[in-house]
Amino acid sequence: MTVYESDLPGVGKKHEIELGDGSQLVIVTHNTGKREVFRRATPDADSEKLLELPDQLARQVGTILEGAYFQPVRSQSIETLLGGDTVIEWVEVPEGSDLDGTTLGEADLRQETGANVIVVQRGETTITNPGGDTELRAGDTLLAVGPREACQTFESLVTGE
Amino acid sequence: MVEFSLLELGELFVAVAVAGALGARLGLSVIPLYVVVGMFASPFVAGRLGLPYVLPGETLTLLAEVGIVLLLFFLGLEFSLDRLLAAKTNITRAGVIDIVINLPIGVVIGLALGWSFVEALLLGGIVYISSSAIITKSLIDLGWIANAESEPILGTLVFEDLVIAVYLAVVTSLVLGGDGLGSLARSLAIAFGFLGLLLVAVQYGTRFFSAVLDVQDPEPFVLRTLGVLIPIAGFALSIGVSEAVAAFFVGMGFSTTEHRERIERRLVGIRDVFAAIFFFWIGVNTDPRLVVAAAVPLAIAVVLTAPTKVISGYYGGQVYDLTPKRSLRVGLGLVSRGEFSLVIAALAAQGTGTVMTELIPAFAVGYVLVMSTLGTVLMGESDRVETLVFRTKTETAAAD
Repeated sequence: MTVYESDLPGVGKKHEIELGDGSQLVIVTHNTGKREVFRRATPDADSEKLLELPDQLARQVGTILEGAYFQPVRSQSIETLLGGDTVIEWVEVPEGSDLDGTTLGEADLRQETGANVIVVQRGETTITNPGGDTELRAGDTLLAVGPREACQTFESLVTGE
Repeated sequence: MVEFSLLELGELFVAVAVAGALGARLGLSVIPLYVVVGMFASPFVAGRLGLPYVLPGETLTLLAEVGIVLLLFFLGLEFSLDRLLAAKTNITRAGVIDIVINLPIGVVIGLALGWSFVEALLLGGIVYISSSAIITKSLIDLGWIANAESEPILGTLVFEDLVIAVYLAVVTSLVLGGDGLGSLARSLAIAFGFLGLLLVAVQYGTRFFSAVLDVQDPEPFVLRTLGVLIPIAGFALSIGVSEAVAAFFVGMGFSTTEHRERIERRLVGIRDVFAAIFFFWIGVNTDPRLVVAAAVPLAIAVVLTAPTKVISGYYGGQVYDLTPKRSLRVGLGLVSRGEFSLVIAALAAQGTGTVMTELIPAFAVGYVLVMSTLGTVLMGESDRVETLVFRTKTETAAAD
């Protein structure tokens, strides 16, 4: 599958996706957030408008298409964005958590759960690839990556539930 | 001084609101309609009919000026040097084809009418510059935006935007610089000196622009943007430099910050309000009888410059390897002239002599009315135009 991206000065961006049967899906993302979806039957044909979505709705539809809400068949051929069973989990460190004040090294979350913290989000600050000496605080949002089950363990450990 | 009262401002908003509603119903661009309602509300029409009318006083002129500044500011905001460089070969080729055909034809028409070189150059600019606002809206309305022809069309518009910034800087000096080569050289030096400084500030001032706008609440955000933009534009004007070009550069300065989208979202409404006032003001200043008096240059310009845009656009499409049919659409798509032709006319009105103060502004209004309508119709009826053009072509080919 090839996706062509091009700029539309003053309007936004255009993505063209080849559908395999010779037709193309064209998605115009306006700077306002509006998405317009077109289909072009042949490369030379005029684009036919299929639908138009506001920003929020477009994101929701996108998530459904991605399979985040529902995966019809759990098999090798259906993969999440990261491939296989790997997922990304967002977890906030609650107030009064044991983790508040400890470093990542001390908490040793990877050994405990099998999920690896890749980002610590603290307000406006983003700590990427945090080291063992990174101190955790209540209110931080941790991004962990790992197998689905490990991420579930991770979530319950951090939230203390 | 002519008084411009709150009541008259009220009339203005009623008029442009009605024009906007009419435009939406008829599927026409609002820009020419704002100008037309302005003309109706002017002393020349409403005044003569004994109806309440709006006088083009200093206050209205000032508000219209803010409209020009915001229009060009948004142009700068949207204008990305990186984008131009990324697609530079295609955009430049299409843009050069566009300018070498359409600017000279206007200058030649002006000179043939016996106008001075500066007057002819103003005419050249008016017929050269296509309307980004009208064309972009038509592209979206017709769904062409998802087709291949949208790229050369938008690319050419970007090229024109850059040209118009340089053009306005030069022409402002020519119009306002006074007589004599010495004073002209001085005003050109001031213009390019100031704009050069501004460009350096823009190039290296990303952090400054970012820091100024680093605020959460929408109100201080909008006020700070205007607090940077309006003083710089005003200062430029006070030293005889185009306020529009200064605004364009400030826009470019803000475009490199992470606040670009937020500015567009927050200020688009303000721009639309002041732009509507600007178009209305253009109308209020226009005596329809002068437009009629400009009928000869107007007819010549329409007959010559509609086809030249189609031709230059066609070859622009060819640069992008489009099929003949789509290349023709590029040409049809670029026919509409609008806001920037009127900005040039507003500049001309500040000059001296009846050609600049009366004829060119009246010409520009008539020209924009015709070309924006013609351009929109040509785009809407492109199928018929295609059949017409290509059938004729095959017949000629067969006859050979």
